[in-house]
Amino acid sequence: MSQYQNSSNRATHDINHSRFLVDGRGLSKVFGTLTAVSPLDIAIKAGERVALVGPSGSGKSTILYILAGLIPPDSGDLFLDSKSTVGLQPGRELSEFVGLIRQQLDLVPQLPVVQNVLAGRLGQWGLLRSLVSLFSARERDSVLATLSKLGIADKIDEPTSQLSGGEQQRVAIARLMLQAPKIILADEPVSSLDPARADEILRLLTGLADDIGGVMVASLHAPDLIREHFTRVIGLREGVLQFDIPSEELMPSVLEALYDLDQQPIPIS
Amino acid sequence: MTWTNSPFRSLDARRLLSLVLIGAFVWSLSSVDWRGGIVHTGGGDALKDFPLALFPPELSPGFLKLGLIASWQTVVHAVAGITLAIIIGLPLGIIASGSLGKPGRVRMLVAAVMRFILAFMRSIHELIWAVLFVAAFGLSSLAAVLAIAIPYAGILGRIYSELLNDVSEGPLDGLRSAGASPAGVLIYGRMPMVLTDLLSYGFYRFECAIRAAAIMSFVGIRGLGFEIQLSLHDLKFAEVWTLLLFLFGLVLLVDYWSTSVRRSLNS
Ligand SMILES: Nc1ncnc2c1ncn2[C@@H]1O[C@H](COP(=O)(O)OP(=O)(O)O)[C@@H](O)[C@H]1O
Ligand SMILES: [Mg+2]
Repeated sequence: MSQYQNSSNRATHDINHSRFLVDGRGLSKVFGTLTAVSPLDIAIKAGERVALVGPSGSGKSTILYILAGLIPPDSGDLFLDSKSTVGLQPGRELSEFVGLIRQQLDLVPQLPVVQNVLAGRLGQWGLLRSLVSLFSARERDSVLATLSKLGIADKIDEPTSQLSGGEQQRVAIARLMLQAPKIILADEPVSSLDPARADEILRLLTGLADDIGGVMVASLHAPDLIREHFTRVIGLREGVLQFDIPSEELMPSVLEALYDLDQQPIPIS
Repeated sequence: MTWTNSPFRSLDARRLLSLVLIGAFVWSLSSVDWRGGIVHTGGGDALKDFPLALFPPELSPGFLKLGLIASWQTVVHAVAGITLAIIIGLPLGIIASGSLGKPGRVRMLVAAVMRFILAFMRSIHELIWAVLFVAAFGLSSLAAVLAIAIPYAGILGRIYSELLNDVSEGPLDGLRSAGASPAGVLIYGRMPMVLTDLLSYGFYRFECAIRAAAIMSFVGIRGLGFEIQLSLHDLKFAEVWTLLLFLFGLVLLVDYWSTSVRRSLNS
């Protein structure tokens, strides 16, 4: 499998990393005695769609959270759109670059849908505007247009807690659309969906990435969806990079080997 | 000293402690002067007359009107007091929760100071506040309202700060990732998530405020308690009963109202 190991364009890194929207070097994370992510280089150019694959516990979520600034890495540098973001916490500054949809979706259940979507604007709005909008929604039209695209325009005023899981996922995507970050991260966005819906959700996410000329990184397990919607696939096991290949080279045997618990993972070189 | 190596862990030690406590209680009984000390002279008669006076209570139109006015005063003091307590307690509770401002030492220090202030406000009983405010403003409604508002703001502020801190982190992370500042996270996340709890607890405290407003009479502020004290002083027990029934009805009414509001909030 080692032929797939990415030689990583380390040479180009140091000359000019501005070609990369995401440029992580030696990122690692240890929880107690468990190494969730071994030092990892990850560089992603605008336009790339990257799938993270690997058995559960292989560190996919941890990597996405590090990229999103939710988890500080124990080591390494992270440049998003050429800006060093190590030490930045999620908030106004980071939200320009990076947006994340977690598995739990993280919506505020008590708010109506329109407010959960408008939360995508909080990075641009001042406090007063945010406060006023909570009582009389600003930019309602753009929320309506976004929700129409997602097929849930009729839910705009419903309490978010009353929506189904699939509908809530669309609300989270609508929020991301208003936020419009250059780097779109999604943790297992299609794990709980049937194939038709999974296809549609990935189409929406890649469409969003296309619109804003950015990148998308998502963790998922389905090889056909990966080949269809992604340009590149990164395999992980026990926090160690196993391969980094164009998605068309993702052979079933490669994935089988990755998920095969009897085989030894590639050790850290 | 932890519980496991505490001497009280042994059964004998605990028994000994119980014995000491019981002994102290018995000794305290013996130190009460039982002959005429506990019930004052003529008290026995009063004790007998009082229950009988319920049949019937004083129901003359004039007195009922007086009861109604006194009830109204009590309600006004309670409503104004609890409203002011919420208006004061909420911002103080937000500061004490430490959910505003950049994370760091300053925020922790400000929150700790605010928790101390809240503790001070509620550690002084409303009657003592009443004495202070009566001294400052005279026997006015303002004194009654402030005497309720200050300690209740201390209680509400503390509970509010805990509620605001106890929300699940996921939706807050979602808001932060979307670009919300700590203030944005507060108004779009924490507040909506605990709003019904805040109101619900405010209503619960309103019941307590009614009783507090009634006993403000002990420092001379008008209201149900004040009239009760006057009638009691004249040994007009039928009137006392009427007023007690008013108070009872008031508490029942508020209890019913607050329960139904809280139920509709929580559903
Ligand atoms: N907050 C945490 N505390 C302790 N261990 C964690 C934490 N988050 C993840 N882990 C561990 O790190 C490893 C990688 O987890 P994760 O990134 O969630 O993997 P994946 O998303 O690929 O399933 C797992 O063994 C997991 O148990
Ligand atoms: Mg995961």
